[in-house]
Amino acid sequence: MSTEAQSVRNETFVLNLGPQHPATHGVLRIKLTMDGEYIMDADPVIGYGHRMHEKMGENRSYAKFLPNAGRMDYVAALFNGHGYVGAVERLAGITVPERAEYIRVITSELNRVASHLLWLGAFLVDLGGFTPLLYCFDDREQILDLLESVTGSRLTFCYYRFGGVCNDIDEDFVPGTRKFITRLRSRMPMYDALVTKNIIFRKRVEGIGLISAETCRKYGATGPVIRGSGVAYDVRKIEPYSVYPKFNFDIPVYSECDCMARYKVRISEIIQSMRIIEQALDSLPTGPVMAEKVPQALKPPKGDCYYNVESARGSFGVRIVSDGTENAYRLKLRSPCFSNMSLFRECSKGMLLPDALALLGSFDLVIPDMDR
Amino acid sequence: MEKQVEVPPGLIHFAMLDDVLNMARANSLWPMTFGLACCAIEMMATGASRFDMARFGCEVFRPSPRQSDLMIVCGTISKKMAPAVMTLYDQMPEPKWVLAMGNCAISGGPFKFPGQYGIVEGVDQLFPVDVYVPGCPPRPEALIEGILKLEEKLRGKRCFPTVEAQ
Amino acid sequence: MKLLPLKSKFAEIAVRAALPPAAGAEATAPVPLVMDAVHASKGIDLDVTVPSDCVVEAAKILDDAKFMIEAITGIDWLAERQIEVVYDFTHVESGERVAVRARTPRDKPELPTISNIYPGANWHEREAHDFFGIIFIGHPQLIPLLLPEDARFHPLRKDFTT
Repeated sequence: MSTEAQSVRNETFVLNLGPQHPATHGVLRIKLTMDGEYIMDADPVIGYGHRMHEKMGENRSYAKFLPNAGRMDYVAALFNGHGYVGAVERLAGITVPERAEYIRVITSELNRVASHLLWLGAFLVDLGGFTPLLYCFDDREQILDLLESVTGSRLTFCYYRFGGVCNDIDEDFVPGTRKFITRLRSRMPMYDALVTKNIIFRKRVEGIGLISAETCRKYGATGPVIRGSGVAYDVRKIEPYSVYPKFNFDIPVYSECDCMARYKVRISEIIQSMRIIEQALDSLPTGPVMAEKVPQALKPPKGDCYYNVESARGSFGVRIVSDGTENAYRLKLRSPCFSNMSLFRECSKGMLLPDALALLGSFDLVIPDMDR
Repeated sequence: MEKQVEVPPGLIHFAMLDDVLNMARANSLWPMTFGLACCAIEMMATGASRFDMARFGCEVFRPSPRQSDLMIVCGTISKKMAPAVMTLYDQMPEPKWVLAMGNCAISGGPFKFPGQYGIVEGVDQLFPVDVYVPGCPPRPEALIEGILKLEEKLRGKRCFPTVEAQ
Repeated sequence: MKLLPLKSKFAEIAVRAALPPAAGAEATAPVPLVMDAVHASKGIDLDVTVPSDCVVEAAKILDDAKFMIEAITGIDWLAERQIEVVYDFTHVESGERVAVRARTPRDKPELPTISNIYPGANWHEREAHDFFGIIFIGHPQLIPLLLPEDARFHPLRKDFTT
């Protein structure tokens, strides 16, 4: 081979995307090997948001770890809390009053809607459209008002306790939530006209970023990523927890495997979440919101257990190994973003750089959740 | 005893011009789009509808450090991230200001414990900070107040009224 | 139920592993190898303990049965001078969960990699390497993932101090 041909073949360059880049949603870095505009290899370098959650789980008591749970996936903080208290309750054998479980479902689903709305705005900013973000945040603020009135915080909720929730919902919450659902329902056609039918948006996402169902299985990708690849895997249905079996809802599945499918899954999930919330509000039982006799210094028996919840990003799992003391011996947090992101390297090969950013946006990454 | 050396405020000082420049700077701060963790979401909320930072002249979020003059450090700085944060600070042109948003940027916040191995305990260990906004995360109102404080620092007086707690 | 055929396959590994050790090799305490677990109290349906050199075989069995990889966890048992590695798998259609456990000595923690069967294990193994210093033999890129590139410490080991 002549030297000229060789030099043409070797005309690749390394591009550092991040750790400070508006499209990486925080502190993700991707080492890209580029051939012109095409990606030859993408090596994600993560850990820039590593905050030692697993170490902290070991050196403090179970109850003191609760605020941490809301700071892993802060966009959908209640799910992490649900996963963590669920695991401890399973290990310690605490039964939760039904009303508390209902409140957990209502607040979690509100959080899911808020998370998807935030994703929608941020995703469209990635693709170059700024306007929808303002609409999304407008709707999201309504949810935050509702959640703030019961949880006391706007973002990093620490609301669930072992055996229930820390305070009961007030009398304004139920009518407020109903009013919000009516409002959001009326806004969905607007989002449809503004985003889904937008030809520029469609050209950016349709047929882009294909992920097969088999790839999802091999990498452990869950949530809207696997449901956008035609697999109806949802922890709420497949291994039900809390009071989810009591509600009638569908799992949105789209089998196009592209970014548009993942977009459609999330939009349909907002509608399904509203269905769940309405049913839960209709059948909200009365009673206590905390189990009785949950000790302050909880000492679960020796052993280990696993608990999974369907977070807004996928299956969030907690494995607790207890040695019978006040602190966990080992706390493993299985974050959905970590597994979802791990398939980026395989799927982005040969893509155009702007398309890869659409793929990255469609994962809905929260970096400190990925890095923990 | 060491002799006190008085540092002049600038090489050449134009009293009136500096006032005018500072007024312009205070009312058109360009923050950097720079999210580290949870507080970044609240920063986004501050910039988006309802809270609308544009009312105070600092809505122009710039993704590049070279175009911005305000660094809002919003989130935990891990030891892995610290060199990148330093580089970003160095890349910003003078004059520049730093606002530490949230407990993590102030002191390490909830992630500071004996034997921690991963975070920098406060961004002021890396470079000087002008305004601290405590909270975990601070509410958007708190961030706006922090920016008003920075404007006050720049101009020497506050032009927006303070709201008394009820 | 996808678990019945699996159980017999795991039992095969179990029988082989239970054979008396070769002359000179240290006899290891027998461990309960295949256990049914109650999902309501444990969160998993099948709890399998395999010798450390059989994890690849176990992963193959689960891959053939179309299980999805969930997580890889290390646990440092300081008193027993061992590190336990737990591989969590789940089935995307039936939702059944299988945990595969293996133990390796703490002073020289080595396990074969399963990243050529499950490419998703790549990152999980790198994470376990970060936190516990477990060497996954045959791993294509065993460099720090969550910790800084030059990190030489393993923070989740029980005797870790800064």
